[in-house]
Amino acid sequence: MNYLVELLVSGLAVGAVYGLIAMSFAIIFKATGLLNFAQGEMGMVTAYVAFSIASSTDGNPWLTAAGAIVFSVLFALAVERIVIRPMVDEPILARIMTTIGLAVILRSGTMLVWDALPHDMGLAAGSALVDLGGVRVRGAQIGVVVALAVSVAAMLAFFRYSRFGIAMRAVASDDATARLMGVKTARVQQAAWGAAAVMSGIAGALFAIAWELSPSLYALGLKSFPATILGGLDSVVGSAFGGLVIGVTENLVGGYLSPGLKEVAGFVIIIAILMVRPYGLFGEKRIERL
Amino acid sequence: MRSGFYKQTIAEHLALTDSWPQRAWIAVGLASLAAAPFLLDTYLLTLVTLMMITAVGGIGLNILTGWTGLISLGQTGFMVLGAYGYAIPVESWGWDPLAGFLLAGLVPAAASVLVGIPSLRLTGLYLAITTLASAFIVTHLVLEFPGLTNGASGIFVNRPTLLGWDVATDRDMFRLAAIFLVLAILGALNLKRSRIGRAWFAIRDKDDAARVMGVDLRTYKLYAFVASSFVVGISGALYGIFLSFVTVDGFPFLLSIEALAMLIVGGMGSIAGAILGAVFLVGLPEVVSMLFAAFGDSARALLSTGAHEVKGALYGLVIILFLRLQPEGLMGLWRDAQRVWTLWPLRY
Repeated sequence: MNYLVELLVSGLAVGAVYGLIAMSFAIIFKATGLLNFAQGEMGMVTAYVAFSIASSTDGNPWLTAAGAIVFSVLFALAVERIVIRPMVDEPILARIMTTIGLAVILRSGTMLVWDALPHDMGLAAGSALVDLGGVRVRGAQIGVVVALAVSVAAMLAFFRYSRFGIAMRAVASDDATARLMGVKTARVQQAAWGAAAVMSGIAGALFAIAWELSPSLYALGLKSFPATILGGLDSVVGSAFGGLVIGVTENLVGGYLSPGLKEVAGFVIIIAILMVRPYGLFGEKRIERL
Repeated sequence: MRSGFYKQTIAEHLALTDSWPQRAWIAVGLASLAAAPFLLDTYLLTLVTLMMITAVGGIGLNILTGWTGLISLGQTGFMVLGAYGYAIPVESWGWDPLAGFLLAGLVPAAASVLVGIPSLRLTGLYLAITTLASAFIVTHLVLEFPGLTNGASGIFVNRPTLLGWDVATDRDMFRLAAIFLVLAILGALNLKRSRIGRAWFAIRDKDDAARVMGVDLRTYKLYAFVASSFVVGISGALYGIFLSFVTVDGFPFLLSIEALAMLIVGGMGSIAGAILGAVFLVGLPEVVSMLFAAFGDSARALLSTGAHEVKGALYGLVIILFLRLQPEGLMGLWRDAQRVWTLWPLRY
């Protein structure tokens, strides 16, 4: 029984990481119609920057968090402006390939700037063990779950109440009309990139604290695809839910079936889901009219 | 650029080429392939061999992505299947290498039906993700069955003996790759001009319109998957023989990206483009390492420790720059050059 609870708890923690990155995918997809294949890599770069800040400030958590968040936003804005914006009117294949190219550059760049060895983040508060009713978890694992909950609440409120959130929904449903109504679509898309970068940056950094910092962190992005698909690419809150489901499933498969299958459990799930529902579980069905 | 010529018979339509300059170029190309093993040194010989093996893979992916318009990130998976489809029967069971090459095509082709069926209803982004997922699943399956695949330690592959021809030296390996490249080109060109090829183009340009005109989307998309992965599987087997070792690590996910980059650099949807792209992408790291060597020892040290990373960054940069500045690829540049050449001094 205890084994099951442990699997569930650590599954929820990993799932929250997937959920945060999946929300980043979804928010960018909603605002721009583009799936950012480099999202995991952007989270990884933020985690590495947090590592550099933490090691030069003797592990001050507040400075590290603030620095990492500011960096992630600036970085995302720069990427959006330099790499993504000029490709706006290109066909979808070209735009996807641009983000894939970006992903490869970031992945290689990280290994060249830092190194390929695993590191400890050096933040005592995050890696301290906390006893939760018999199950011991790391502080950062609780942190991820809290971050996910906060992000979901913030997104719900943002899309429902804020003027800007409503503008973003307008752009998502029809960007040409939104522009005619006076919405600055470029500004909306920048905001989406910024928000996505913060969420995936938090996910990357907390994952690095709770487990370890290594260049294989980019795989978090790949493993979050199943979560987004499960939730529907255009459903931000659905993606968060999808992340938790995938995280728990993966851990259960890893714990009871085989550790090798754990890595691909999510991928098997999405292939199965896409066979039945090509637009994800909560995604909007697109009808093509001729 | 020619104009004002009309085809009057079916035979003219079916001919691969009707222009004498083109035939001359093909003859020159074949002659240089035949002469190359005697002229090039070992380094260039292996480099060109690798280019040709990569080009075979590019031609395979071009069937799926360039002609049918289905994005695939599953190239690595099919190459792995092809490599193991060759290595297991030939090395572990002692089958004839020819049967091995056949299986290297058939195994990925069969697997591609499995990948293809869920992908039939998907386009664009979703397809990219399912093919990516399939590539990872294949890699992990290989590790899950160590009895068959020897797990992470991989299988050693000897140079084959085909119909009494012992492919022992680098020259023979070059010829083997050249033979398969020519076969792949001929096969792809013939598919392109068939009923199936025309159906693929119709699907790529507008799938709904193709469907209205009577193209069965399911069947023809599956044909594209099967044909593409057959060719890609062969290139995987050749790559395994080239490395003389088949492991999961020998086929990193970067190969999928390299293959797509190849099509983008060369020009989507053309066989010549896929070949040009392969030459460009395989040659690029070599050219860059020569440039780095000119910058002195520290640059050379960076390149020797981070060769894989530098290569990855280069691929990414090349993809982005080509998409931004030259979306038609090298073939587009070539067509522009042709136009300027014929029309000069007029602009158009």
